[in-house]
Amino acid sequence: MLTKKDSSAIVNCVNYSLGISRRSPTFAVGLLIVVLFLMLALMADVLSPYSPTQSFSYKVLNHPGDQFLFGSDGNGMDVFSRVLHGCRYAFGISIPAGLIMITIGVPLGLVAGYKGGLVDEVLLRILDVLRSFPTIILALAVVAAMGQSLTSMVLVIGVLDSPIFARVVRAEVLALRSSSFVMAAIAMGNPAWRIMFVHILPNAILGVTAQLPMRMAWAVRISATLAFIGVGIQAPTPEWGAMIRQGAEFVITGEWWVALFPGIALMILVLGFNLLGDGLSDLLDPRRRSVGK
Amino acid sequence: MSATRRSRIIRFLFFRFVVSIPVLLGIIFLTFMLIRIGGQDPVAMIAGPVADSAMLSAIRSQLQLDQPLLKQFLNYVLLVSQGDLGVSWQGGKPVLSEIKQLFPATLELVFLSVGLAALVGVPIGMRSALKPNGWFDQLTRFCSLAGFSMPTYWLGLMAIFVFFYLLRWAPAPMGRLGVDVVAPTFVTGSVLIDCLLEGNWSALNSAMSHLALPVLCFALLAAAPIIKQTRAIMLEIVGSDYVRYARANGFSQKTIEKIALRNAAGPLLTFLGSELTSLLAAAALIEYIFSLSGLGQWGLNAILLGDFAVVQGYVLTLALCSMLIFMVIDLLVLMLEPRN
Repeated sequence: MLTKKDSSAIVNCVNYSLGISRRSPTFAVGLLIVVLFLMLALMADVLSPYSPTQSFSYKVLNHPGDQFLFGSDGNGMDVFSRVLHGCRYAFGISIPAGLIMITIGVPLGLVAGYKGGLVDEVLLRILDVLRSFPTIILALAVVAAMGQSLTSMVLVIGVLDSPIFARVVRAEVLALRSSSFVMAAIAMGNPAWRIMFVHILPNAILGVTAQLPMRMAWAVRISATLAFIGVGIQAPTPEWGAMIRQGAEFVITGEWWVALFPGIALMILVLGFNLLGDGLSDLLDPRRRSVGK
Repeated sequence: MSATRRSRIIRFLFFRFVVSIPVLLGIIFLTFMLIRIGGQDPVAMIAGPVADSAMLSAIRSQLQLDQPLLKQFLNYVLLVSQGDLGVSWQGGKPVLSEIKQLFPATLELVFLSVGLAALVGVPIGMRSALKPNGWFDQLTRFCSLAGFSMPTYWLGLMAIFVFFYLLRWAPAPMGRLGVDVVAPTFVTGSVLIDCLLEGNWSALNSAMSHLALPVLCFALLAAAPIIKQTRAIMLEIVGSDYVRYARANGFSQKTIEKIALRNAAGPLLTFLGSELTSLLAAAALIEYIFSLSGLGQWGLNAILLGDFAVVQGYVLTLALCSMLIFMVIDLLVLMLEPRN
């Protein structure tokens, strides 16, 4: 039996989330998609009818149908089970990569923006190099160099993308540096690290929050692209990019399902992350706050 | 154009030129080190599986791979400054001449696609910014995000399935020309232009049908960020003080649109420039799917095979090209700037 207090809390909670989803439907839809995929990833073992690497050697390239919901691939493996297990790889790459991006990029941007000088100059030049350097080629070369493993892929993606966070934080810090609360903190005799991390960081973190889902989307995409080219994760592993690579050779002879389903899953998850980021920047931007009402 | 403005432009070009040298060196250094610390051993790949260790070390010293890395790097920079990009280990051809052969094909693909995407994307983005959160805006926002999220190669594959396998509209995704036509002589390297120059209509027809699908796929993906960015730029301008001021002064909608467009041109061009450069690299995937044998496909193969000189040449070309694009765009923006 719910007490009155409990139920009003629930009503408040529901109202609040309704309000958010009315203010930014993109955010709500994005969150829904990402949470759904997270659940699929967690329950992949329970939901999938077969093991993702179990091979039915007499049932190669079966049409989608009764036994195999999404058909079977060139090795006679169930595409549906493999797509489900692919969710695990997507999150297994994007979550740690996102953490790496933040732990490297945010302090770098703080120091560069607050201290200026040499650190700032070096950061700007690195950004210049990265801007004129094709990211995918860079990622390809580094993953090929560091050895073909999941860990190296996560590391490369995280490190490569951290300058983007540095840039976002740097821009916010530059705007905040001369504001009165920072001046007051300096006048109080706070050390520089304390001003950066305790006073400026909480005010600069909003931009990062909106950026993170977009960069995670990028991480999912680029890891799949690398696997598609044949670098990073190799074939029998149920990763979406590697599955599309397997399916590519059958497309021209009309066996579409091997490549179609992992691609759709990849697209929806990336779309979810992007919607989430888009909605977050809408919700967090005070100038646009009134537009969506 | 006033004298002060011209001197400003000259100063700008000089500054950009000076700044671009360390960046370029940084890129060469990065590529150089990345592929050399890499897991692949090109010597083993060249020598084949039966080679003994004496043969391996002979090849290694012939390729000068046994020297210290820094010396190898300095040698390479010295050669590049003389316009020599080295020789491909896989095909034995000079890298520079290969780039001259292949780069026009990639440029053709990228410029056609970006041109098409900009022609479609910019007006759509502007239209959706006029009524933010209207039905048109919501629809285009969703579509552009969906396009943003689609993997290039997957879209290409699905397009091949539908238009080649099911409908038989497109030719097989194997190269730039059908096997039944005479290829035009190499003049500019762009198949379309070469066919036009020669008046080779059957080849032109074949080239166009081979390019249609890749260009459409690529343009579809390129249009998504263009729409998104145009919308954001226009929203910023429509909400700005000077537009509000112009409106308060009673200017007609047409005049206001003219003012807005002039101010949007700068950021839009800058964005199109960065889009162009990122697509130059992304072209590799489309070329790979459709076997268009452009620069990207060549560079991609080289990375997988550990063909050092080719990878370096490929990355250097892309970097130089993107620097040139950024420079031209920044110059254009400087000239369009309404404030001087």
